[in-house]
Amino acid sequence: MHIPDGILPAAVCLGGYATTGAATWYSLRKINQQENPREGIPKASLLTAAFFVASWIHIPVPPTSVHLVLNGLLGAVLGYYAFPAILIGLFFQAVMFQHGGLTTLGVNAAMMGLPALVAYHLFRLRRALGKDSRAWTGLFGFLAGAGGLGISVLISLALLITTIPAHLDVETERASIYAMSLAHVPLMALEGVFTALVVLFLQRVKPELLEGGSPLSPFPPTLGGQGGG
Amino acid sequence: MNLQLDEYSHLDSPLHRWEPRCRLIALVALMFAFSFVRDLRLLPAMLVVTATIYAVSRLPLSFLLARLRAPGFFFLMVAVLLPFLSGRTVLLRIGPLALREEGCLALLLIAVKFVSILTTGIVLFGTVPFVITIKAMRGLGLPTILTDMTLFSYRYIHEIGDDLETMETAMGLRGFRGRHPGSLGVLASLAGSILVRSYEQSERVYKAMILRGYGNRPTRPADDFQTLPGDVVALSAVLLIAAGFIAAEIILRQCGG
Amino acid sequence: MAMVTGQSSVTGDALDLKSTAQPPPGSNVTALVVSGLNFSYPDKPDVLRDVNLKILPGERVGLIGPNGAGKTTFFLLACGVLKPNAGEILLFGKPVVPGGFRPEVGMVFQDPDDQLFCPSVRDDVAFGPLNMGLPKDEVEARITEALSITGVLELADRPPHHLSGGEKRLVSIAGVLAMRPKLVIYDEPTSNLDIRYRRRLIRFLQSSNETVLIASHDLEFILEVCDRVVLMDEGRIVVNGNPRQVMGNVDLMEAHGLERPHSLVPHAQPHH
Repeated sequence: MHIPDGILPAAVCLGGYATTGAATWYSLRKINQQENPREGIPKASLLTAAFFVASWIHIPVPPTSVHLVLNGLLGAVLGYYAFPAILIGLFFQAVMFQHGGLTTLGVNAAMMGLPALVAYHLFRLRRALGKDSRAWTGLFGFLAGAGGLGISVLISLALLITTIPAHLDVETERASIYAMSLAHVPLMALEGVFTALVVLFLQRVKPELLEGGSPLSPFPPTLGGQGGG
Repeated sequence: MNLQLDEYSHLDSPLHRWEPRCRLIALVALMFAFSFVRDLRLLPAMLVVTATIYAVSRLPLSFLLARLRAPGFFFLMVAVLLPFLSGRTVLLRIGPLALREEGCLALLLIAVKFVSILTTGIVLFGTVPFVITIKAMRGLGLPTILTDMTLFSYRYIHEIGDDLETMETAMGLRGFRGRHPGSLGVLASLAGSILVRSYEQSERVYKAMILRGYGNRPTRPADDFQTLPGDVVALSAVLLIAAGFIAAEIILRQCGG
Repeated sequence: MAMVTGQSSVTGDALDLKSTAQPPPGSNVTALVVSGLNFSYPDKPDVLRDVNLKILPGERVGLIGPNGAGKTTFFLLACGVLKPNAGEILLFGKPVVPGGFRPEVGMVFQDPDDQLFCPSVRDDVAFGPLNMGLPKDEVEARITEALSITGVLELADRPPHHLSGGEKRLVSIAGVLAMRPKLVIYDEPTSNLDIRYRRRLIRFLQSSNETVLIASHDLEFILEVCDRVVLMDEGRIVVNGNPRQVMGNVDLMEAHGLERPHSLVPHAQPHH
């Protein structure tokens, strides 16, 4: 799903960076509006690292196994920090494993990060229906996970198919996008289920990890409160 | 997972000695210039430039091949469809499939671009410790929140990765094989545990940070990057080459290439 | 001999409260004064109850007690990381403001990974001095000084995840010492250390000049390093006095979930 270097035209790559730049600026602004933005940085950093590692977990899907993208889960847990977290995670992947690309970092970050923010808002809808209910939390977790991946897949496919230097006509293009999107539906379901399961786990074990508190402050304050022992 | 990033960053070569910010600007500009190319006639020049840079960097060839293997494989898996789907001029029929000329050329184009850009990227990050490259980005104006997050995340990736391995081993020792339908739930708990442990550790890390004054200093003193004339000359040279590719591409396009 | 006051529990008698440390001549500023300290977490009440303690400059004080006694919480309050519900804390004569930065006090955490948060040793040791606003060359000098004192100068350019537990411990101490604190707090410094590094740490502490407050389950370690011992249980200070007397008192130790260190157990058949 990550788009590698060399395929997209330079204009699209630069457009990707522009979009990512704007989205990062916006996310950082939202982050700075919190009570104590500094406090969020170690939390977001360690969680970025944790998500990066968590995406290595092999999910057995007979006959093979897959790695999940988890951008929906990132949105549900990190809120606006999800965008820089995804940007940084993709950067590490590109530099360490040559997975994704450096010229396409902007495009990939926008493609996975913006749906993560959508997933965050989607997940927050559970508050209207009862934040403590396991059913609603699970459902919205599923929607966030499936939706996060789904939107990313659509954007990714659309970009690839319309910009590959091939000579396909519009009909074939549209058909291929539909076909390949359909092929991803099982993956979307898998991400949705997995996200729901993780979100339910977190709700049971550490509910403050789930965008608790006000929308602008996804993490509750540490000073004078909890932690230590 | 091999996270080895700085294996060869201690070698000595003109690229290793190039001032980090100049190197960053130059090589990134080159990568984007490569991505701009669409004319096949520029491909040999691209390869020559890339090979020269790699040779000057004194990085071992085995390093490049190891790093290109997996992404190259995935790239091919996707791109191999091109010669069969794209274009009208049929070169060769293999049963129901037709190998088309435009598709083959398209594949060649993106394959060469892929290898060139990736190789340049490998040189960029392989010739200097990762941390210094991030500081160079900070020195060039990237917001501190982003670079701080990158540095702190980088610090803990290895530890958390080790934790994951330990937990997976423990699970395996208790008979977990992942084939049971309930496995997904177990793996979700594994992921959840990693998140919770990292979250809890981050609270302790935050306390350690404020104890040593985090948040106390409004501006950070500029990192120690000294640019020598040689650095600027090299930067200009590479920028010229990058501009050359862009100009050549534009001219060739205008001539109806 | 300076006399310092502390509380004693109902079971202990007025124990001999002699401290062997002498405050530097001409100084009448205590290092740490805690009076009437009370603290509760939202989900855990009465973690610390009416704690009073005084530490003089140059003293090496050990803090012992069972798990959950409140030792780490006490340290975090003393440093200003947590805000007390009631009570006053004076650090070198000035009140501690929660959230404020007091480089005169440094704390070495139980898990070095919690405070070795930069991706290179050099950056980590520089963190404190940089936040103190020191100029570049002063920071460099402090890094070298701190790493040399702890004997790990050769690790300066290594990434932390390549270090062993003992090396991480020493580097995290260097990170604190780079701020030249006058009071250093150690939370379980010998946990997960192998014998070699433990011995190195003991020698290091015995030769250092700072005021030191150490919480540890390693009672032999406390015996070798500290001139005074404070026993804490259930959020209260039970006893405050001479290490051999406090830790050699079998009834007292066992009443609070501890055991005497082996070297203080009278041997019917000497086997050393």
